Amino acid sequence: MLESPWLRIGWRNLGRNRKRTTLTALGLAIGFAANVLLVGWVEGLQAEMVESATSLVNGQIEIHDAEFRPDRSMFDTIGGRAGVDVDALLRAVDADTAVVAAAPRVYAGGLVSSGEATSAGMFMGIDPARELVLTRFLDQLVEGRLPVSGQNELVVGEEMARQLSAAVDDELVVVASGADGSMANDLYRLVGIFRSGLTELDATFAVMPIGDLQALMVLPPSRIHEIAVATTDPWIAETTALRLRDTLPGVEPAIEVVSWDVLNPAMVDYVALADSMHFIIIFIVFGIALFGVANATLMATYERRREFAVMLALGATPRSIWSTVLSEALAVALVSLVIGAGLIFPVMVWFHNAPPDMSWLLDSDVTLMGALLSPSLRVEYNPSFWLTCAVALIVTAVIAALYPAFRAGRTPPADTLSGL
Amino acid sequence: MNKRLVGMVVAGCVVVPSLVTAQTDPLEIMNRVDRLLRGDSSRGVATMEVVTENWEREMTMELWSLGTDYSLVRLRAPRKEAGTATLMADDDIWNYLPKVDRTIKIPSSMMGGAWMGSHFTNDDLVKESQLIDDYEVELVFDGDRDGVTVWEFRLTPKPDAAVVWGHIEYQVQQDNYMPLWTRFYDEDGDLSRTMTYSDFSELGGRLVPAVMEMQPVDKPGERTAITYQELEFDVDIDQSFFSLRNLQRQR
Repeated sequence: MLESPWLRIGWRNLGRNRKRTTLTALGLAIGFAANVLLVGWVEGLQAEMVESATSLVNGQIEIHDAEFRPDRSMFDTIGGRAGVDVDALLRAVDADTAVVAAAPRVYAGGLVSSGEATSAGMFMGIDPARELVLTRFLDQLVEGRLPVSGQNELVVGEEMARQLSAAVDDELVVVASGADGSMANDLYRLVGIFRSGLTELDATFAVMPIGDLQALMVLPPSRIHEIAVATTDPWIAETTALRLRDTLPGVEPAIEVVSWDVLNPAMVDYVALADSMHFIIIFIVFGIALFGVANATLMATYERRREFAVMLALGATPRSIWSTVLSEALAVALVSLVIGAGLIFPVMVWFHNAPPDMSWLLDSDVTLMGALLSPSLRVEYNPSFWLTCAVALIVTAVIAALYPAFRAGRTPPADTLSGL
Repeated sequence: MNKRLVGMVVAGCVVVPSLVTAQTDPLEIMNRVDRLLRGDSSRGVATMEVVTENWEREMTMELWSLGTDYSLVRLRAPRKEAGTATLMADDDIWNYLPKVDRTIKIPSSMMGGAWMGSHFTNDDLVKESQLIDDYEVELVFDGDRDGVTVWEFRLTPKPDAAVVWGHIEYQVQQDNYMPLWTRFYDEDGDLSRTMTYSDFSELGGRLVPAVMEMQPVDKPGERTAITYQELEFDVDIDQSFFSLRNLQRQR
């Protein structure tokens, strides 16, 4: 960079008015830091949203009978009426290297009643040991414990317990449609209350051991509605689902293996929309910086009109004057980049590894598109975006200097030196 | 004698036009059909056969009704569910479950749910008697259909009525006031289900359709048929019969 004399002059010129240089560089540096932080935070939120949506209750992959969605009929069990060898299917799913956990589930709609209060409920039959590895909503119960198989025990969401005015150890009446058409009903003991943070879930879900729900619904143990699967990373769920589709043992009627991006396309669209905003953020932040830098550079060149006039009088070409001014801008850009990176990267490392908890700012949980978000300043790394930001910073500085450079190149030597 | 004749003629002049009016006033006809089937109070025994894609079952039930606001249905068979009972009082429904000896009130959010696994909804049970309260009735056809003289009515929901149907069509046989079918249309105007009435027989001293069959359009092959074996009208029951305490009485 310093090989050309004009560039060297540009570089040295940075020291001529250090205050101005520092302020200009800080403007660009803070613009760079703001971009990196803002996008990092947005991506942190997205990551949190996807992780929450795919680990709170739903898995990242779901395996159903091909007819199960969207009606979720209780008769559309995996393997149809004959059912399936659930253990063998689970073993086959577990065998995939990307799979962290897999859990069978049975669902039923019905009523839960306590005293005079009755709520519409969605019953979920689970294998508690497997479910605890897969999902988070049962990890820490607000009260009580998980239900034990064969004891007519269940846990419900906090909101449902409130609506039913039910407490742990209370007796609940459960009514559901039996697979034989009967009105299945039985008494259960409420042994625990969970809080997922998602109001809809907490108001409607009642969870019991899978065998108990099958018995209530007159379904044999071989008939389940779903196997939920967690993978090591939500973003490999799609490829894992494709692989499982090929490797799972053949089941008749056909099963479907779907990843969260198919089950929740709105969230995928949301992430894509947020990604497309990155460039708008760059445009706005550096757009503001552009005018500040242009103003400072224009002032700097105006102050040095006599210097440019002397250079031109001694035989310098307008082009070399442009080079001087532009290389000065380039030098400012590089200094800004160093300052900006120095400012933001320690913060990024901190916020990425130990995001400050911001829940003190909010009274309640934040939910977005069916996902529970913890209010924190978690940021995600995105090196390609940082590179784009760096290029944008340099381009901004150079564009800001174009007009001042052009003006400087056209300085009339004789008039300027004669004081006109 | 003359006075009597004059009296008869005068009476005839007054009565005949009012009869004609009564016969073509849709509300009056609907009311009459309803009164025929219900009486002030009634008791009956019926079987309900439910056929779905996945299972078939038959239940025997005993039914009581008082006016349009109260009814009680108690299952006698199958044995596993005998004693299960439903009480409808005004717009509310309670179910008594003998297995757990508990009564639960159906929440308003579940009124659209199936009643006892049939193709009738809980809402049908409480709203069926209020058709003329919730709908504007319009006579849209008066003439022969397949050799039978019928009236056809179109029931359109009143603006403030909380109902699920876009409109309902209702056909009534003119000579005996027997309903022939009711067609329920959704809000898009598509036929959703059809109720047909058949086997007009004398039960409890009245001609009634002994068989009522509900068929959903979106599930061909599925149906719920209710067949009355016994029916008696104006039985000696009062409002106290339709109490939660009586609901829980297993008989």
